[in-house]
Amino acid sequence: MSSSTRIEALKRIFFTMLLTFAIGAVLILMIGENPIDAYIALFKGAFSGKFGFGNTIAAFTPLLLTSIAFAVAAQAGAFNVGVEGEVFLGGITAAYIGINFTFLPKPLLLLACFAGAMIVAGAWAFIPAALKAYYGVSEVCTTILMNTVALYITSYLVSGPMSAGTANAQSLPVTVNLPKFMRPSNANVGVFIAIAIVILVGVMLYKTKYGFKIRTVGTNQQFANCIGINSKRVFINSMILSGMLGGIAGTIEVLGVHGYFLNNFATGLGTDGMLAALIARSNAVLTPFIAFFLSILKAGAMGMQQSTGVPKALVDTITAVFIIVATMETLFLFKGRIFKNKIDSNKLGKIDKTEEEKSV
Amino acid sequence: MSAIIENIDKIFNVSLIYATFRSATPIIFAALCAALTQQANILNIGTEGIMLVGAFTAVAFSYMTGSWVLGVLAAMIAGAFIASIMAVGHIKFNADICAIGMGINMLAIAITKFLLKVIFNTNGTFSDPGIKAIPKVHLAFMDDIPVLDQLFNNWSITEWLAIVLIIALQFLFYKTVWGLRLRAVGQFAMAAQTAGIKVTQVKYQAMMISGLVGGLAGAHLSLGYSTQFVENMTNNRGFMGVAAMYFGAANPLLTALGCLLFGFADSIGARLQAYGVPSQFVLMMPYIVTIMVLSITLFVKYRNNRRKESAIVNQSISSKA
Repeated sequence: MSSSTRIEALKRIFFTMLLTFAIGAVLILMIGENPIDAYIALFKGAFSGKFGFGNTIAAFTPLLLTSIAFAVAAQAGAFNVGVEGEVFLGGITAAYIGINFTFLPKPLLLLACFAGAMIVAGAWAFIPAALKAYYGVSEVCTTILMNTVALYITSYLVSGPMSAGTANAQSLPVTVNLPKFMRPSNANVGVFIAIAIVILVGVMLYKTKYGFKIRTVGTNQQFANCIGINSKRVFINSMILSGMLGGIAGTIEVLGVHGYFLNNFATGLGTDGMLAALIARSNAVLTPFIAFFLSILKAGAMGMQQSTGVPKALVDTITAVFIIVATMETLFLFKGRIFKNKIDSNKLGKIDKTEEEKSV
Repeated sequence: MSAIIENIDKIFNVSLIYATFRSATPIIFAALCAALTQQANILNIGTEGIMLVGAFTAVAFSYMTGSWVLGVLAAMIAGAFIASIMAVGHIKFNADICAIGMGINMLAIAITKFLLKVIFNTNGTFSDPGIKAIPKVHLAFMDDIPVLDQLFNNWSITEWLAIVLIIALQFLFYKTVWGLRLRAVGQFAMAAQTAGIKVTQVKYQAMMISGLVGGLAGAHLSLGYSTQFVENMTNNRGFMGVAAMYFGAANPLLTALGCLLFGFADSIGARLQAYGVPSQFVLMMPYIVTIMVLSITLFVKYRNNRRKESAIVNQSISSKA
C-alpha cells in the first residue's frame, strides 16, 4: 500500500475515534457522570503500575492473534467470525496435549501443544471454508453457528472426560507453561510469540507471492481465476491459516495465562479481534495498533467501573459504536474524494443518489 | 441409550408438535426479518442485534407502562431505529453489510447490558412480576377436544401473529406491486433502475420493515416466549433465522418450514436431556442441524444450477450467495 492511502486510513481512524469518544461522552453524561473523569480513570486503569499495564499486555496478546487471524481471512475475501471457536478448540487441544503427553521433553511438549492446537483449529476452519468455496454457503452464518458448537464441545470435555473434578468446570493443570512476567498480572512471554507471528504473517501478506495471491483472490476472484490462481484453494488455505492463528491464541491463553483449560475462557476474544481488524479494514500493518488500543479500553474498563459510577459495559458500547462508524466507508471522505468515488463507483445506490440530488 | 428407547413414546407425542412450533416462533420472526431484506439482496446479518434490542425495549416498556401492547410497539420502533442505522450505513455510506451487521450485533449486546445496569441496576437477568406478558389466546370450545386442545389452545397472541405474518409477507412479496419492485431490485438492481424503480428508496423501505419485524421478534422472545430479559437472550436465534432464510430462499413459507426444523431439533433436545444425554450435546443440536441443513440446501442448489447451465459456463455462481 502506498503511504498516501496509509495517511488517509490513519486520518479516518482518528476521526472515527473522535466521534466514538464523543458518543461515549454523551452516554456518560446521560447517566449523570463526568465523561472526562471516566476517560481518565479508563486510561489510568490501563497504564497504572505493573498490574495495570501487565494486564493490558495480557489482554493484548490474544487480541493481536485473533485480529490478525480475521485479517488474513478477510484479505482473501472471507468474513471469518469463527475465530472464537478456533481459539476454544486450540485451547482444549493444547490443554489435552499439555496434560497427557508428559513422556515428551518440555521443549518438545511445548511445540506439540502449539502444533496440535494449530492442526485442530485449522481443520475446524476448513469446514466453513470448503462449504463456502465449493457450494457458496455463507461463511458468516456457518462460522457463527460453529462457534457455539465449539464452545459446547469444549464445555462438555472439561465438565466430563477432562474435568479436574472441581466445582468450576476446568481441566487439570498443564505440565508445561509459558513463563509470566510483570507479576501479579497475567502478562506472559506469549506476547513475544504473538508479535513474531504477526510480523511473519504481515511479511507473508505483503512481500511474498502467496500473499499476493491471497490479496488478489480477496479483491477480485474472477481476475484471480483468469491469471491462473486457484482461487478456491487460496481461499480455503487462508481460512485454515486464520484458524491456525486462532489456535495459537488459544494455546497461549491456556499455557500462559490460566495454566489449565477454563470453561468459557475465550468468550469475546474472537469478536474483539474481529472488531480490531474491521476498524483497520484488515490492513495487517494497522490491525495490531488497533488491537492494542482495544486492549487498553478492555483492561482499563474495570478501573473505570471501580473509581467512577460508569459501568464496564460502556466500553463495549463504545467499541461497538467505533466499529459501526468505522465501517461506513465514505463517511469521512472529503469533498474532492467523494466526487471521484461517485464517478468510480458503478454501484446503483450511488447513481441513484446523484440522480435524486439533481432532481432536487 | 436404552432409557431413550424405553421412553420413546414420551419423547415423540402430540405435544411435541406444539413444542416444536413454540420454540420455532422466535426464529420464524427472525427469518422473516432476514427474508425481507434478502429480497432486496441485502444480507441482514444484524437480525440478531435488532432482535436483542427489541427484546430489551419490550421488557422495559412493558414494565414501565404496564401494557404489553406498548411494549411490543416500542420494540418494533426500536428495531426499525436499529435497522435504519444499518440502512444508512450500508446504503448511504457504503459500509460492508457483514461488517456493519456484526457491529450492530455487538452494539446490541453492549447497549442492552449497559442499559440493564443503568436503568434496572442488575446484571445478567431482569425478571419482575411488573412485566406484563403477551396474553395467551384461550379458546374455550376447544377445552373438551383432546388433540386439538393440545395443539391449538392457549397460543400466545404473537404465535398466531407469526402465522398471519408469514401469509401476509407471502402475499406482499408475490402478489403486490411493491413486492414485485422489491424482488426486481434484489434480482437485478440496474434493470430495476432502468425500469424507473427508485432502488435506494425500496432498499430503505425493506430495511425499515425488516426492522419492525425484527423488533417484533425480540418482543415475542422476551414477552411471549418468556417473561424476562436475559443478557444476550437471543442466543444466536437471529443467525438461525438467517440460515432458515437461506433454506427457504427468502420465500416466507419455505423459510418458516426451515425454522420448524430448528424448532424440532430444539424441543427434541430438551426432552432427551431428561434421559441422560449430556446437556451440551442437547444445546448443540439446533446449531448442528442448522449448519447441516444450510449445507445440504446450498449443495442441492449448486447441483441444480450446474445441471441448468448451458454450454456457456457461468463461473460466477459462487459469488452470488
